[in-house]
Amino acid sequence: MDFEFTDDQHELRDNARSVLASACPPSLVRAVYEGDTAGVDGLWKTLVDLGWPAIGVDEANGGLGLTFVEVGLVVEELARVVAPSPFLATVTQFAALARETGAQGDWLTRVAEGSLTGTVATDGNVSAARVGDGWELRGEVRHVIDGATADEIAVIAITDEGPAVFAVERAAVTAIPLRTLDPTLPVATVSFDGVRVSGARVWASSDTTPDTAAVEMYSNSVAGAIERAMGEAITAMALSTVATCRRIFEITLDYAKMREQFGKPIGSFQAVKHRFANMYLAVEKASSLAYFAALTIAEDDPRRATAPSMAKASASECQRLLVTDGLQLHGGIGFTWENDLHFWLKRAKTTDFLFGSGPAHRARLAQSMGLVG
Amino acid sequence: MKLRFDDDAEAFRTEFRTWLASHRPSPEAMAAEPSVSTGHAPQWARDFTRKMFDDGWLVPGWPPERGGRNAGPVHTIIYMEELYKARVPRTTNVQGLGIIAPSILDYGTPEQIERYAMPILLGEKTACLGMSEPGAGSDLAALSTKAVRDGDNFVVNGQKVWTSGANYADFCFLFCRTDPSAPKHKGISILLVDMNAPGITVRPLPEIIHPENPDLNEVFLDDVVVPATNLVGQENNGWAMANGSLAHERGMVWLSNVLSVELALATLLEEAPAMLATLPAEERAVAADRIVQLQIDTVAARTLGYRGFAKLVRGGDAPEQALMKLFATELRQNVSLVAAEIEGTSAIEGGALVMDGTQSVDDPQGSWLEQYFHSFANTISAGTSEIQRNIIAERVLGLPRA
Repeated sequence: MDFEFTDDQHELRDNARSVLASACPPSLVRAVYEGDTAGVDGLWKTLVDLGWPAIGVDEANGGLGLTFVEVGLVVEELARVVAPSPFLATVTQFAALARETGAQGDWLTRVAEGSLTGTVATDGNVSAARVGDGWELRGEVRHVIDGATADEIAVIAITDEGPAVFAVERAAVTAIPLRTLDPTLPVATVSFDGVRVSGARVWASSDTTPDTAAVEMYSNSVAGAIERAMGEAITAMALSTVATCRRIFEITLDYAKMREQFGKPIGSFQAVKHRFANMYLAVEKASSLAYFAALTIAEDDPRRATAPSMAKASASECQRLLVTDGLQLHGGIGFTWENDLHFWLKRAKTTDFLFGSGPAHRARLAQSMGLVG
Repeated sequence: MKLRFDDDAEAFRTEFRTWLASHRPSPEAMAAEPSVSTGHAPQWARDFTRKMFDDGWLVPGWPPERGGRNAGPVHTIIYMEELYKARVPRTTNVQGLGIIAPSILDYGTPEQIERYAMPILLGEKTACLGMSEPGAGSDLAALSTKAVRDGDNFVVNGQKVWTSGANYADFCFLFCRTDPSAPKHKGISILLVDMNAPGITVRPLPEIIHPENPDLNEVFLDDVVVPATNLVGQENNGWAMANGSLAHERGMVWLSNVLSVELALATLLEEAPAMLATLPAEERAVAADRIVQLQIDTVAARTLGYRGFAKLVRGGDAPEQALMKLFATELRQNVSLVAAEIEGTSAIEGGALVMDGTQSVDDPQGSWLEQYFHSFANTISAGTSEIQRNIIAERVLGLPRA
């Protein structure tokens, strides 16, 4: 039992932070907010050159073979700077699902070398039916992260024989970008209108046997593989929310020490102090649970079945407080477009709603704890 | 980062569990004479303290001559978990073993260690902590109980309040003012005062729960003569020592708080299916959600505690630790309250709390509603939740004082 990061993990975090300070300054984020996405590709190239997409990929597939904790550290650092980046969807969704379904082909190698970006389309109404030696997909998924820009979309579909997972080229689908509050984490509506898939694009179906030994935890089913992968996506999203909140906390704390009213810093007033104590607790709680969930994944502990939902629910509670108090304590200045604060506020909200907000995950937990039928 | 304990830590767990199974006080003996005050050590508790001391299990992190086995901090966590699981209080004299004995060992003279610290470790004496006063609660440094030097003695006059266990304790670790002209933090000293000394009057303050067994007391000191040899450490250095004394608690007290929450939640989860079944369907989901939120926070308390602990073990700062008292005691309160609300109208039944000796007097017990009321002992004492928030804001976050 040891809940402190190793020296290597601290070093990874410090390096990531220092790289991103220059590779993803607020000016880049602001440009994206104002419609100029020119900086996004350059940032991704920098991350690929540094080998970040390879961190969580096993060595046999050309990766660095590190754990989900290291992936989580990078997710956090990217969230701290509100990075517009395909990293989250590619690494914590697409690659996780490829690995857990035991997908055939060089998907993970291509993720590791940075030659492919991907995402996952889930929670839609996509159905698949057998056609010849393959499948035909129909249906629509909304709010697919990077859905209009990722090279490949892994879709979780329903078949008569249970759930299945397919990889579809983005060029083969209709992807319509959605206007959202946070343009740095773009989402799209993805429609599958008779798309045919076969061969290595069938990641998991009733024909395939995911050969990840640990899938036994979920009775070795396709659903189990999906659940394990989605646990990673959910945990990454929780880490992202928490890291965004920690940044809101730091920015607001600095402001409260500097901004004076009635001849004193506003942070000297007890009403303000107590809010900060509560915010600090919320961030530390959610952060602890997010890394606990990351550890259950890294060590393939049975608690990974529930820890990601706990982490996401706690992150949700955290952002409710941090977005509210962060904005409130800034007063009018935080309400202006010119101040950068809203980048973090909107990112925290966006990641909260993606992959299930607090109530959704608490409802899941109530089921898994046997509290509701 | 890793989730599981190492093999050697699990071996340690097995060793202690085995020892505990054959040397623990019997539940019958504990229930027959439960401790009714944190100054009260029934015979079974005295015998158990002595046995733990002899076998090196009283304070595992200390050397054998002080009742330990030089165990590391991770092993100490395991030790506390196993005691809690076995429902055996480590001591009934919480302040004596947790704060007072370690402080005397740190700052006391060899004679003081022999006369006061060792008897606590051997189960022969209990002690109480004389800190709060009517005019010095959260603002402890404002205390006004006076000790005036008179030859080889101090003469003490004043009043303490909220003194846990004073009605049974053998001696008091008394904070008093020895230099009224110095700034308030600089004129405080610590004296060891025998509770049967002439001039001491103890008046118990029955509490809102188990009033028949008061733990809190007022202590009046009228011209109490204390030998100057009972001055602990340097004169007027009491405030600095107080912070040192309380640091003994900070290392591990988070774990006691978390264990208390975990036990309460485990009980609630056991009772939950039956309680939920009595609720109308439309109420069930709401109740279930509240239980889920408690479960999430309970796991958060454990993991947050572990994070701070991991930093402390490495010798670093652990700002998280400052959050634990606030978080865990408020959560413990909330578990009781939510449980009572889900229990429904029958939650108002009770009022005749019978202690069974399995818990320290200040650990919430009884019905859920009784536990709720009882839990304020921990959100008010040892720095109220409001003071904790100020401490976090000022000392951890660096916000300026008003």
